[in-house]
Amino acid sequence: MSNFFLYLGIGLFTLVLFCLYRGTFGPGVLNRIAGICAIGTKTLVILLLMGFIYNRVEMFVDISMVYALLNFIGTITAAKYLEMRGEV
Amino acid sequence: MTRITDDVIIRTVARILIPFIQLYALYVIMHGHHSPGGGFQGGVILGASFILYLLTHGLEETKIRMSEIKAGLFSSFGLLIYSGIGLLCLILGSNYLDYGKLSTILKVMPAQARSLGILGVEIGVGIAVMAVMFSIFFDISTGGELPEDEQNKRGAR
Repeated sequence: MSNFFLYLGIGLFTLVLFCLYRGTFGPGVLNRIAGICAIGTKTLVILLLMGFIYNRVEMFVDISMVYALLNFIGTITAAKYLEMRGEV
Repeated sequence: MTRITDDVIIRTVARILIPFIQLYALYVIMHGHHSPGGGFQGGVILGASFILYLLTHGLEETKIRMSEIKAGLFSSFGLLIYSGIGLLCLILGSNYLDYGKLSTILKVMPAQARSLGILGVEIGVGIAVMAVMFSIFFDISTGGELPEDEQNKRGAR
């Protein structure tokens, strides 16, 4: 069962690479923000899978919840900054 | 950055989410000694909730709940809790921040006194970090110039 979570994590990691491409070279600013937000969501699930692999889910749930909250605030801050500069 | 947003979705989501963020920050502070986290991390999450409030509700509404003066007072108060517990241990005749001696005041076992002492220190650190995080964001986003300062200047002239 641990191997299953490992392969699931590796699959999500390859998806993160695609989002990273969109975040780095993506046309326009909105695509980059969407790509980075998607990376944050995938990182949350990868952290939970790491918790299952190391048999310490209760510790990694805390970390992933903090990551989700800060990802939300970071996305809103980036969007607000772009709105302030008038690029959207 | 500190203007009020006219988007009702962001305002509503922030209003619903902020109490849960603060509750989670208190959990991180309280469980710092047997799970990841502690005073600094919980304080950062608590400060992030105030930053979210400032982003979504604007400067005028934030000043009712948390202003620059209150942030300075809170950071000093957190530092006072931290150094006060340390000095209390020093007065009772042991090293600085050696919580075992607190058992003579708290009337508990020395192991329990250590647990309670580190909890008090973490609460102090959490309050101080929350206030400093909010103060840094406040200063950066307003550029160090507050609207009431300009009004005071005009009044002086």
